[in-house]
Amino acid sequence: MKSLLKKVFKRWETFLLVFLVLEFVVFGAANPKFLRPASIMSSIVNYISVCIISLFVTLVMITGGIDIQAPSIIGLTSIIIGVLWSDAGMNIWLAVLIATVVAALCGALSGFFIAYCGVQPMVVTLGGSFLYSGLALLISGMSATPAYKGISGFPAKTDAGQYVGFRFLGKGTICGIPMQIVIYAALILLCVWILHRTKYGERLYLIGVNQAAAEYSGINTRAVIMSTYVLSAVSAALAGTLLTANVNSAKYNLGSGYTLAIITAVVLGGTLNTGGKGSIIGTVLASLIICILRYGLPLCFGVSTQNLDLPVGIILVLVVLGREIAGQHMLAGLFKRKRKP
Amino acid sequence: MNKVKGLFKARWMSSLIFLILLFLITGIADHDFLSYSNIISCFNTATMYTLLAVGIAFVIMTGEIDVSIGSTLCLTAAMTGLIAQQGGSILVMLPVVLATGAFIGLINGIGVAYFGVPSLIFTLGTNSVVRGLVYILTDGRTVENFGGAIASYGNKTLFAGITVYYAIAVALVAISHIVLTQTRKGKYFIAVGDNAGGARLVGISVLGTKILAYVLCGLFAGLGGFVFASKYGQVMTVAGTGYEMTAIAACVLGGISLSGGLGNMIGAAIGAVIMSSISRLLVFIGLPSTYDNTITGVMLIVIVVVDALAQHRSVEMSRRKRLLSRTAENAAEGGSKA
Amino acid sequence: MAANDRERTDAPRLQVRGIRKAFGQNVVLKGIDLSVSAGEVVALIGGNGAGKSTLMKIIMGIYTCDEGEVLIDGAPAKLGKPAAALAAGIYLVPQEPLLFPNMTVLENILMGFSENEGELKKRLAGHMEELGFHLNLQRKANTLSIAEQQLVELLRGLMRNARILILDEPTSALTFGEVEALFKVMRDLKRKGISMIYITHRLNEVFEIATHVAIMRDGLITLEGPVEKFTKEMLIAGLLPSDAQTQKQGEKAYKPVRYGELKPVMQVRGLSGYGFSDVSFDLYPGEILGIAGVVGAGRTELISTIFGRDKTLSGTVTLDGKDITGLPTKQILKEGINFVPEDRHYHGLFKIRSISSNTTSALLDGSEIGRVDMNRRRQRQITQKYVDDFRTKVVSLDDLIGSLSGGNQQKVVIARSLSTAPKVVILDEPTRGIDAAARGDVYSIIRQLKDAGVAVLMVSSDIEEVVELADRAITVFQGRINGEFSREEITQDALTSASFGIAHERKV
Repeated sequence: MKSLLKKVFKRWETFLLVFLVLEFVVFGAANPKFLRPASIMSSIVNYISVCIISLFVTLVMITGGIDIQAPSIIGLTSIIIGVLWSDAGMNIWLAVLIATVVAALCGALSGFFIAYCGVQPMVVTLGGSFLYSGLALLISGMSATPAYKGISGFPAKTDAGQYVGFRFLGKGTICGIPMQIVIYAALILLCVWILHRTKYGERLYLIGVNQAAAEYSGINTRAVIMSTYVLSAVSAALAGTLLTANVNSAKYNLGSGYTLAIITAVVLGGTLNTGGKGSIIGTVLASLIICILRYGLPLCFGVSTQNLDLPVGIILVLVVLGREIAGQHMLAGLFKRKRKP
Repeated sequence: MNKVKGLFKARWMSSLIFLILLFLITGIADHDFLSYSNIISCFNTATMYTLLAVGIAFVIMTGEIDVSIGSTLCLTAAMTGLIAQQGGSILVMLPVVLATGAFIGLINGIGVAYFGVPSLIFTLGTNSVVRGLVYILTDGRTVENFGGAIASYGNKTLFAGITVYYAIAVALVAISHIVLTQTRKGKYFIAVGDNAGGARLVGISVLGTKILAYVLCGLFAGLGGFVFASKYGQVMTVAGTGYEMTAIAACVLGGISLSGGLGNMIGAAIGAVIMSSISRLLVFIGLPSTYDNTITGVMLIVIVVVDALAQHRSVEMSRRKRLLSRTAENAAEGGSKA
Repeated sequence: MAANDRERTDAPRLQVRGIRKAFGQNVVLKGIDLSVSAGEVVALIGGNGAGKSTLMKIIMGIYTCDEGEVLIDGAPAKLGKPAAALAAGIYLVPQEPLLFPNMTVLENILMGFSENEGELKKRLAGHMEELGFHLNLQRKANTLSIAEQQLVELLRGLMRNARILILDEPTSALTFGEVEALFKVMRDLKRKGISMIYITHRLNEVFEIATHVAIMRDGLITLEGPVEKFTKEMLIAGLLPSDAQTQKQGEKAYKPVRYGELKPVMQVRGLSGYGFSDVSFDLYPGEILGIAGVVGAGRTELISTIFGRDKTLSGTVTLDGKDITGLPTKQILKEGINFVPEDRHYHGLFKIRSISSNTTSALLDGSEIGRVDMNRRRQRQITQKYVDDFRTKVVSLDDLIGSLSGGNQQKVVIARSLSTAPKVVILDEPTRGIDAAARGDVYSIIRQLKDAGVAVLMVSSDIEEVVELADRAITVFQGRINGEFSREEITQDALTSASFGIAHERKV
C-alpha cells in the first residue's frame, strides 16, 4: 500500500492533477463566478483544438517525432469544407469527409518523408506547415467569398434557436454538455486505449525508446511512424471541422498560432521530446491546466486576455526546470544496483 | 583536407546555386527582375532574417534549438521604439537591446545547458514569457511614431545600393564564419553538436559552448529587433511571430543540419535571402503572393528530402564500397595463389 | 618484467586516496586508494557495476567525487573538469569511442589543440609510423569501424603527450592482430615512462601487459599488488562472489550431436552480400555452430544479412527447405530465426522500458500477447518464465531494463530471441561486455537451447568461448569461409590461425 502510494506520488500526472485542483481552489476562492460549470465548459470549448490535437501529437512525440504542421491543417480543412459546401454546392458531410481525407493525405505525405526518407520530423513538418497553410490560402482564393471574410452560413439553426446538422457539432449540447466536450471525452478514451492498451501503443513506445532495436524485434517502424502523422493530421481535421461549426465561419487561417500551444500541452504533460515516455492523461491534464489558467486569470485576477502568454510561459519554464532538477535526483536512483551480481 | 573542404563547400554552394537558379528562372519569366536594383533589394530585405538565421545557426550547430527569437526580436524592437520616443540616441538603444538579447540568450543557455531541459521546451517557455514582457512593456499597445534619427537609418545605403544594415549583417556573417571555421574555439560549436560526449573528453566545455551559442543567438535577435524598429517605424505586440520558424527554415535551406554538427554561416545567410525573396520572386513570375507559403513549403520539403536521401546514399555507398573491397582483396589474393 | 619498470620516483605519478562517490542513495565507490607510478601498467579488473568506469570518470574530471583526493606527482590536483585533467597529462580512451562523426579523422584527432596545425600533423605522422597504423586521415569518422575508431582515440591520447593513459577495455572490439599492435605500443609507452591504467575483462591480457593488478568489487579494491604475485586462478577467485562457483561445474557434460541422423534446418548456399562473399554452410538442429574470425572479417555482416538487415547480392538461404533469401526482418522472424545483436545498447535494449516490455517486444506481431489489445497478464507470464529459467536477477518485472547489470540485460535480450520459439537463434558476441559470473550463466543458457533442439549460430571473437561451446565451427577470413572444424578439431590454435588466414588446407 505504501509503495503504491509512493508510486502515485512519484508520477508526473499526480503532480499535474494537484496543480489543476489548486487552480480550481485558488480561482474559485478569488471569484465564485469562476466555478460556474457553463463558463468552465465554454473555456474548454474555446481551447478545444489544442486539446484534441495535443492528444494525437502525444502519439507522434512518443515515437520521438514532432508535429508542428497540425495547426495549418485546421485551416486547410476548414477552408476545404467551406469551399466545397458553399462554392461547389456539395453536401456538408461529404465536404467534411473529403476534407478529412485530404488532411490524412497531408499527414501521410509528411509522415512518408519522415519515416521513409529519414528527414528530421521538425524540418518536414515545418515545411508542411508552410505548404498546407499555403494550400489553404490558395483554396480560399477559389471561393467567391474574400479570404479575410470567411465563408459563413453553415447549416443549420432552427427558428427555435436549436442547432442541428453540421453546426450541432460546434454548438449543440447533449444533456447540457457541449457536443465538443463530449467528442473530446470520447477521443481521450480512444487515445488512452490506443496508447496504453493496444499493441500498436506498445510499438509506439518501443520505437521511441530505440528504433533500431524495434527493427530487430521485427516491428515495421517506418509504417508505424508514418501512421502517427496521419492520425495527428486527421485529429487536426476534426478540430478544424469543430472549429468551423463552432464559429460558423470557414477560414484558411483558423488555428494559426496554435503550434507552440500544442507542443506546450504535450511536453507539460510529461511526454519526453526524445520519445519513449509520456501518457495521454498527462497531456489531458496539461491542456486543462493551461485552459483553466487562460480562463481564470482574466476573470479572477484581471489579467489582460491579451497577455496570457506570460503566465503560461512562466509555468512551463518553472515546471520543466523543477522536473529536471527533481529528475536528476531520481535518475541517480536508476544507477542503483540490485545487490551484487 | 581538400576533399572535406569540398564537401563543406558543397553544402552551402548548392544553396547558392539554388538561389542563383531561382533568380535566373524569375529573370526568364520577367526580364525586368534581373536589374541590379532589384537583386540588391532582395538582399537588403533579407537583413533581419540574415541576423536571426546566423544567430540561431550557432545554437542549431550545437545540436539545440531556440524558438524564442521571434519574441526576443519583438521585445528589443519595442524597446528601441520606446527609447526613441523618449528621444534616446542610438548609443542608448544598442547597448540596451544587445544586453536584453544576450540576457534572454543567457537564460535560455542556462536552462538548456546547465539544467538540461530539452531546448525546444525551454525556449518555448521563454518565448511565451518574453512575449508576455512585450505586453507589459507596451501596455498591449503598438509602439509607433518614434521618428527621429533611427527611422532614417533604415534606408540609408552604404554604397551601390546596399543598405548600411545589410552591410553590417554581411560583415557579421563573415566574422561568424571565420570564427567558426578558422579559430580553435570556433570549431567547438560544431564539435559539441557533432558529439557532445567526445567534445567533453577532449576538454571542450559543452556547457560553456552551448551557453555562448545561446547568448550569441540572443545578441543577433536583439540586433534584429533594432533593425526591425528602425525599418518599419512601428512595433506591434505580435511583431516577430513566426520569425523563428523562418529563421530555422533559412538555416535548413542553407544546409545546416538540425541535429547539429554540420553546416556553416554562409549557408544560413543564403538561406535567409532565399526565404525573404520568395514573395518578390512570385510577383515577377506573375503569381499572386498567395502562393508564397505553398512555394516555401514545397521548396523546403523538396530540399531537405533530397539532401537527406543524398546524404544517406553517400554514407551507404561508402560503407558498401568498403565492405565490398574487403572481399575483393581476398578474391585477388586467391587468384594469384591459384 | 624489466627492473626499470618498477623504478619509482619519490611520489607516484597518479594517486587517488579515499575516493567516495554516491549517486543519490546509491554508493558506488566506498573509499578507493590506487596509485600508479611512472612506467607502470595497472590492470584494473572487476565486474560490471564494480565502479571502475565511475572511478575513471572521476580521475578524468567528468564526475566530481564526494570525498577523497587525486594527487598528481604527489600534489593534490583539482580535476573538476576534463580540461584540467588533460592539462595534467591524463587521457582516457573510452570503451565506446567518442568521435565526431561528421568530421574527418584528422579533425577528430586535432580537435581541442592550440598548436600550429602543420607541426601537429608532423607529430601525428610520426606516431602513426611508430605504431604502424595506416588510416586515411581524410575519411569521415562515421565511416570507421569500431576498431578503427579505437585507434583514432589512441592517437588522440598520444598526441596529447599524455603521461597517464587510461584505457577502458580497449581490446573488446579489436582483432588479435590489433591487440598485438596495441600491446606493442603499450610496451613502448611503458618504456618511455608513461603510466597506464588498463581496464579489462580478459585475464590473459593482465599477465601479458600489466605490471600491477587491482581488482575492484562493489566499490572497493579487494586485491592489489604486482602482477607476479598472482595467478589467473587467484584473480578469478578474487573476482567471483563466493556463491557463484558451485553451479559452474556439473554442466560440463558434453552431449555430442548425431549429425548422421539429422537434416539441416538452415542451408546457406553461395551467399554474397556487402562484406562477405560466396558463403555456404549447413546448420543442424540441436547444434551450436561457432563462427570465428577477426573483427571486420564479415561475420556480423553475414548474419545480419541473413536476418534481413542488409541486401543480399547473390546466393540463397533456406530454412526447412523454404527459400527465405532477402526477406525483411519481420518475415524472417516469422519464419523462425531470431537474433541477439552484438551491440546491446544500439540494437538490443529498450532502456527506458520495463523488463517485460523488453522480453516480449518480438511477440507484437503474432497473437501470442493479444490481437489488438495487449494481454498484459500473458506478457508477464512469459517474462516471468524466462526470468525464472535464466535466473535473471530482477526485483520486479516492471523495473526499467536500464537498471539491470549488463549480464542480466543480456539475459533479457536472449529471452526475447527465444520468445518467438525460433528454430534458429543467431548470437552475435553473446558475452561481450558482461562479467565473468554472468558469462557462466549465458553459457548454460546457450547449452539449454541446444538441448531443446534449437540450432544455434554463434559469432564470437572470443576463441575460448567457441572452444567451450561449439559443436562445430567455421572460420571467416576476409569475407569468406576458410575453414570448418568438427568438435574434435576445435582448438584455440586451429581457430586462431584460420582466423588470420594461415591456411589449414580444408574443404569448405
